[in-house]
Amino acid sequence: MAVMTEIGAPPRDRLSRARALHWALAAALVLAGLVSLEIGAADVRFSTILARLARGEALGQMERIVLFDIRLPRLALGILVGAALAVSGATMQGLFRNPLADPGIVGVGAGAGLGAILAIVLGAFLPVWAVALAGNQLVPVAAFLGGWGSTLLLYRVSTRRGQTSVATMLLAGIALGALAGALSGILVYLADDRQLRDLTFWGLGSLAGASWAKVMAAGPLIVIAMVAAMTLGRGLNALALGEATAAQVGVDVQRMKSVAILAVAAATGAAVAVSGGIGFIGMVVPHLLRIASGPDHRALLPNAALLGAILLVLADVVARLVIAPAELPIGIVTAVMGAPVFLWILLRRRGITIA
Amino acid sequence: MSLIAEDIRVRFGRRDALGGVSLTARPGEVTAIVGPNGSGKSTLLGALAGTLPFSGRVRLNGRAIGAMKPWELAAERAVLPQSCQLAFPFTVIEVVRIGLQAGTAGDRAEVPMQALARVGLAHCADRPFQDLSGGEAQRVMLARVLAQVWNPVQDGRPRWLLLDEPVSSLDIAHQLQVMEIARDFARAGGGVVTVMHDLNLTALFCDRVAVLAGGRRLALGRPGDVLCDEILSRAYGCTMRVSAPPLGGVPYVLPHSACL
Ligand SMILES: Nc1ncnc2c1ncn2[C@@H]1O[C@H](COP(=O)(O)OP(=O)(O)OP(=O)(O)O)[C@@H](O)[C@H]1O
Ligand SMILES: [Mg+2]
Repeated sequence: MAVMTEIGAPPRDRLSRARALHWALAAALVLAGLVSLEIGAADVRFSTILARLARGEALGQMERIVLFDIRLPRLALGILVGAALAVSGATMQGLFRNPLADPGIVGVGAGAGLGAILAIVLGAFLPVWAVALAGNQLVPVAAFLGGWGSTLLLYRVSTRRGQTSVATMLLAGIALGALAGALSGILVYLADDRQLRDLTFWGLGSLAGASWAKVMAAGPLIVIAMVAAMTLGRGLNALALGEATAAQVGVDVQRMKSVAILAVAAATGAAVAVSGGIGFIGMVVPHLLRIASGPDHRALLPNAALLGAILLVLADVVARLVIAPAELPIGIVTAVMGAPVFLWILLRRRGITIA
Repeated sequence: MSLIAEDIRVRFGRRDALGGVSLTARPGEVTAIVGPNGSGKSTLLGALAGTLPFSGRVRLNGRAIGAMKPWELAAERAVLPQSCQLAFPFTVIEVVRIGLQAGTAGDRAEVPMQALARVGLAHCADRPFQDLSGGEAQRVMLARVLAQVWNPVQDGRPRWLLLDEPVSSLDIAHQLQVMEIARDFARAGGGVVTVMHDLNLTALFCDRVAVLAGGRRLALGRPGDVLCDEILSRAYGCTMRVSAPPLGGVPYVLPHSACL
């Protein structure tokens, strides 16, 4: 047989290309960050500040507050939340073996939201020492628990014998979202005025309330979830062939699933706790990256973190610009950008059976 | 250094899929599992692979598989499933590389391409897996399995191919090619256990045959002994006539001579 002559050019190496993309995306993130620092409601420009610093002049009180207490924490929060949403989207899609899975769409976001509202409203009834112990982690951790519960439930409902049914997953997600929404509604009636203000503010899905306190509240959970998710690349690749095959090529499937579910819940929970429900980043970002550089999770997960951060920072800039000096909730901006992409994916998959 | 299954029982809900089946497969041999649909062939293979919960004992190269970690198992045996769906748009070569996950073919980068060439699909390396025809996809999956246990013997221990109907979607030329791959693997010192429906290929290429029916083992032995009118008729529930060429040639079965 002409076996040896068949080996001609070496196969394309999409993984190296996808890894080269890390650098391009990192550079783009720096640019997006600069834009975000430059633009805002106050007439303070980062470029002018830099120029003045270069001339050795001191910064004014106003400039310092705008830069260090408003724009920098907002940028940091945008990066954290964007990366968290995109990575939890990519992880969830790998876990459910389906590109339409997204924590926002399948009710995990709503579950995390319920956890956060519970913490805000019932936090008042907790003993003082418990509140002091939990500190600013109370709301993020509660959101994480809510997200964890709903991810576990969703996985149990929609997966049989290692195969996930998309239809069941989406429908179960709708039911979960409705239930969490209804329970959240009841809690809102129980809330007092101050809590109500917290809730409205939070429910808008916005980075407007960004502060260093929020960065410190969500940061640790998000960073831990990211680190955990980055270890899943090989395992999720194998899982693309099904749970049985993944186990047969040497993946500890049970452990990997637990880590993936915890990472999704932690990242989604922490992101929801500080910024409300921001949709579509988790679905659009991995989808774009799969088109650009292939589905290999070893490169997809870090790239998703970078592109998610970029998109959310830019969406935040748009949110601040369109109706300046007021601003749009960022959830509206991501929905306007993301919903058409979602429909486009559905359109392209039409005709292909989604069993 | 064998693959030994003793008294394997598997229950799905209230139904017994396997009711106490024993099987010994030796390295250097191709062992076939044949039997009608639903007789428990895939279930037995799943138990041998350690992917299904079962009661009974399975020893792989002298170790109980229950005590082995997934990656230890993966280094000693590879499994070709009866069917497989891919969730994301990986290319053919990327799918084959998934086989390197834990295998001690390790990070030898040339193995996946060699495995693809072995199944005659090196020219498809860059095509999206999801675009392949059924038979091509089946051969790519075989290449992935071969890549996982590329050397039939590693550190003096035989490695194992567990194949579930490896030729079910293939044309006749590729059926022969794949059966030759299995036989070569065994002749090089590895072990092969394969589920088969084609009794003639089984007779041609396999050294031992286990016949299953209704979750029990009807027979185990050399094809010349096991593939006989009486056993096959009982297993498949239809009258079968096995023909044998003179001078102890390989027996064959024609559907012409079978009747329900
Ligand atoms: N996951 C499962 N849950 C419930 N029943 C199952 C499961 N897998 C197999 N069975 C049942 O166990 C029996 C044996 O199935 P198995 O897949 O082993 O058959 P097989 O011999 O491989 O058949 P085929 O030739 O059609 O591949 C069948 O009756 C089947 O319905
Ligand atoms: Mg079968």
